[in-house]
Amino acid sequence: MKDREVATRRRKVTGKWEYTWHLWATLLLHIIAIVLFTRGFLLTRTELPYYSNSSDVSESQCVYSSSHNNASSWTKPAVNRLIIIVLDALRFDFVAPSTFFPESKRWMDKLEVLKDVVSKNPTSARIFKAIADPPTTSLQRLKGLTTGGLPTFVDVGNSFGAPAIVEDNFLNQVDNGCIEHLFPSLYEDDWDVLISHFLGVDHAGHIFGVDSTPMIEKLEQYNSILEKVIEVLEKESGPGSLHENTLLVVMGDHGQTLNGDHGGGGAEEVETAIFAMSVKKPPSSVPVEYDTSSCQLDLDGKNVCVSTMQQLDFAATMSALLGIPFPYGSIGQVNPELYALGAGSWNSDASQELSESDIWMQNYANTLCINSWQVKRYIDAYSASSAVGFSSDDLSQVASVYAQAETQWLCSTKKLLLDKNKGTDALVPALKKQIEAYFNFLRTVAELARSKWTEFDLYMMGTGIAIMSISLIFQVLVILRANSQDGATLASSGYGWIFSASTFAFFLLGMRAVSFLSNSFILEEGKVAIFLLSTSGIVALRKSVVKGELLKESVGFLLLCTFCRFGIEIGLSKQSATSAFMKEYTSWILNIASDLPVWNHAAEVVPILVLILLAFWLYKATSGIFFGWTRKIVILCTILTYILIIVHWITENNRYVLAFMPESIGRTYIPRIIYAILLGQLLLLAFAQLFKGNCSDCKTNLVAKTTAMLAAWSSTIILLSGKQGPAVAFASIIGGYCIMRLCDIEDENGPKRSLSIGPFPVMQWNLFATCLFFCSGHWCAFDGLHYGAAFIGFEEFMLIPQAIILTLDTYGFSIILPIFGLPFLVATKYKADLGKHVLFRQLSQIYTTYGLITAIMTMFTIFCVTLHRRHLMVWGLFAPKFVFDVFGLILTDILICLASLYYFDQGKDDHHHN
Amino acid sequence: MDRRKKREKTTVTKPSTVDSQSPPKISPSEAFIVTLSSVFGLALALYVANSGFSIDLVTDPSRTIFFISLVELPIVILLFSRYRQNPRKCTYLQALGRGLLAVPIGALLNCLGAIALGAPVTFQFLPKTINWSLMMSLFTTVPASCVLGSSWAHWKRIFAQTRPNGSVEYLICLPAHGAVIGGWFGAWPMPLDWEMPWQEWPICVSYGAIGGYMVGLVASCLFVLASSQHVKQT
Repeated sequence: MKDREVATRRRKVTGKWEYTWHLWATLLLHIIAIVLFTRGFLLTRTELPYYSNSSDVSESQCVYSSSHNNASSWTKPAVNRLIIIVLDALRFDFVAPSTFFPESKRWMDKLEVLKDVVSKNPTSARIFKAIADPPTTSLQRLKGLTTGGLPTFVDVGNSFGAPAIVEDNFLNQVDNGCIEHLFPSLYEDDWDVLISHFLGVDHAGHIFGVDSTPMIEKLEQYNSILEKVIEVLEKESGPGSLHENTLLVVMGDHGQTLNGDHGGGGAEEVETAIFAMSVKKPPSSVPVEYDTSSCQLDLDGKNVCVSTMQQLDFAATMSALLGIPFPYGSIGQVNPELYALGAGSWNSDASQELSESDIWMQNYANTLCINSWQVKRYIDAYSASSAVGFSSDDLSQVASVYAQAETQWLCSTKKLLLDKNKGTDALVPALKKQIEAYFNFLRTVAELARSKWTEFDLYMMGTGIAIMSISLIFQVLVILRANSQDGATLASSGYGWIFSASTFAFFLLGMRAVSFLSNSFILEEGKVAIFLLSTSGIVALRKSVVKGELLKESVGFLLLCTFCRFGIEIGLSKQSATSAFMKEYTSWILNIASDLPVWNHAAEVVPILVLILLAFWLYKATSGIFFGWTRKIVILCTILTYILIIVHWITENNRYVLAFMPESIGRTYIPRIIYAILLGQLLLLAFAQLFKGNCSDCKTNLVAKTTAMLAAWSSTIILLSGKQGPAVAFASIIGGYCIMRLCDIEDENGPKRSLSIGPFPVMQWNLFATCLFFCSGHWCAFDGLHYGAAFIGFEEFMLIPQAIILTLDTYGFSIILPIFGLPFLVATKYKADLGKHVLFRQLSQIYTTYGLITAIMTMFTIFCVTLHRRHLMVWGLFAPKFVFDVFGLILTDILICLASLYYFDQGKDDHHHN
Repeated sequence: MDRRKKREKTTVTKPSTVDSQSPPKISPSEAFIVTLSSVFGLALALYVANSGFSIDLVTDPSRTIFFISLVELPIVILLFSRYRQNPRKCTYLQALGRGLLAVPIGALLNCLGAIALGAPVTFQFLPKTINWSLMMSLFTTVPASCVLGSSWAHWKRIFAQTRPNGSVEYLICLPAHGAVIGGWFGAWPMPLDWEMPWQEWPICVSYGAIGGYMVGLVASCLFVLASSQHVKQT
């Protein structure tokens, strides 16, 4: 490895790099791995803020409304009104006759009315098997249906709120609202498009599964509703009536598996049905070359035909039928069979020379021209504006296919179309060729878009995972090498203890890592973390009982775990507002809070008191030991910021607003002053690095440095965390202290004290940090971010400072403070007579271990999203967790590197000493 | 191996000197009888609860667990009090009394441990938690209390260090550890989204604890058997 050679060379030059070079190497490896994996995993598509206008079409070369003088239409409107009935999670086999499938199941043949209509009027009604693009979640599909685009990552993440809202309705009530409103609307004339969305099938599937009585009942109910709707339409279908030229579409947005799940890309999930019926009978069927249907006799001996189409094409086809502008971002093509259903209205103005199918083809070619022009416009605009566009190869291919079709159009077809005098002999073959050319173009675009937008790049993901594994092996090797360096001390003193404690630490680590493979455990991650932390606390208590010392610390640690546990549960209750927990706890904790004014006052006063306590404690703790003047200043600044925070909180409450101070000072300026002080403190500490401290006792020096660093960060983090901040800070101090003390007894077995720190305390430290993440009310989802915190001190939106502040709030207690606090663990072990060399080796060891633990967790998250990439919850749960973990890992690595710069300053001196 | 250390903490108030006399020994057949009667008691309790009261752990965990405790209590106390240390200083009745006293103390410790690990604390779960703690107390502290009394050193050795010495201590130590470890593992299915009725607290934890307890009993039986053969050979 090159890194290693470089490092060996460097080691001779400076002692500091000997201990820290591998931390930087790890950071580099992790960044490469994660960038590669993320590029393969997160499907990215930028949404363009453009809309199609009816006048845009004049930019195209197509024969738009030239024969119509109708300015508001792109294509010739074929239908006047459109009724769309969306049945959520409609499986294809609910609609198609059971004879299409190898086996007849009890849920088939329930929507009898649809196939009866189809077999009666094969030209005006059709059943399609519609293939949806995963992820097959309702919001995504509805968005895809209406925009004609492919789904993106971010909006999938947000789509899981909606199901949660409907969940608590009773199955039967879900659809009643729809039914109530649907029928009256049918008789009104103030709409052009009527959309009615029935959720019952989806719910029945989720709750009972497909093969269940409620599902069958639901389907039968829909059958009767649809029967009535079709009856109404047929009654009103006469010339001049309300529904003279109406198209009825009954469709599913996605399918479902037999268990009622959907979201993934399985055949059962993506196959749904579209039934379309035109009230006005079109004269003839589609030309045979565009007909994809296959026909079979159903159980009653009627002939039923079923065609196939892509759901992607739905938006474009509907727009073409209605004659409205195509959605700007649509990449679908107008489906010939579905489009043919509207052919009934074109007869009037057609010239007599042409046969019906030729008229249809003429219209269709023109529509496709507009269609292709719109798709090309979108692709051009997209690649011009998006950072992650298509490759130039792909673009030039698309462009050449389009140019081919376009030249053909301009040179021959358009002339033939405009020149009505020519015979049909030349026209029909030209049209056919033209349509074929457009098909070719649209197919190319759809394939390209699918591969770029909905396919995971498994090769990239695999490479990312491989590099990540290499980094893990690298870290393990570094640790093993360091262990072998002080192997003598290890072997002589209490190897057995270390061994068992390490084994237990690995066991806990393994349990936690494996738990990431299930979505339920990710959802309850906080509880799992506190469960493992308490377990480790109990084991520590056991040990301290054996030793007969530090009982107070271990019992205190367990009590702290218990408190954290309640904190986490209250935090999780915000996450899932419908959970049983919320119902139970609102009744007796939160209600007290709102009912008693005493409680309100306490909620305001207690954080302030805790903060005063913290300030006092900080003062006491730092006044005793030897401190450099820079650190003294840092500590004093922190105490000052604590006072500022208190003032800030007091002014926030209108009740206590001080008359002499404008509110805005407290609201805006105090936080900004605190941020500025943090910056100043950090600069000061960095500045102090330049001067070599000449203190002889490097343990005290290390403690002082750590304390100063933690103090500098604490005020901003407490401010951002709000009222809970002081309590969490207090808990983290106590927890950190307990872990520190308990790690002291860890390997204190026999006369010699081992100096190395086993993985057990580091594991505890890491688990405790994770618990603090959840205790401070966060969870791994985008709605778990405290966006309010980003506006502390800022009135308006500014991206970069607020992103930094949000990061500080999210990871302050769980990453920043724990990492800068890790040297405390080393300091407790360290004895003054051993020299700096040993100290720095320990420090480097502990940071590597900490980084390794975080990396293992992230590795399992990455595994998990790879395994579950087609899972229902991949965008709702796994992907956010992945983003949080990956971001946390990079931040951890960066902070470890920075911490190594900060703490390892005197390595060089030390090296010469040795 | 979790919660029992706390238990030692309460008893630490009156530390006693380590008795130097050898721990009581029982023959493999006696150990077998103890194991058999404990397992039989559990099976009987579950059977009677199911057939007599038509309840089981899933439908009515609270009462079923209470019923198990009721059946196990006399079995455990009566059997283990026979193997008390210092039978001369301590009468059988005293041992019984110690055992009874250990029921609430052990329940409290188990309950605290469970809460630290995340057991629900709402009023709805209160009876379940109490009954579960009583049952765990029977599995863990009660036998130890009957046999060891308040000897802190013995408690520490058996529970904190897991170094049982002699056949009776195996019978105390292994099932107790088995019950707690089994309960710990039994808690893992709880967060899963299978929506099975048995995933609720404390049903699967009780299953785990009972399973672990039985495994511990069988294992301790085997240990006693093995060690007695070892003694014979030497």
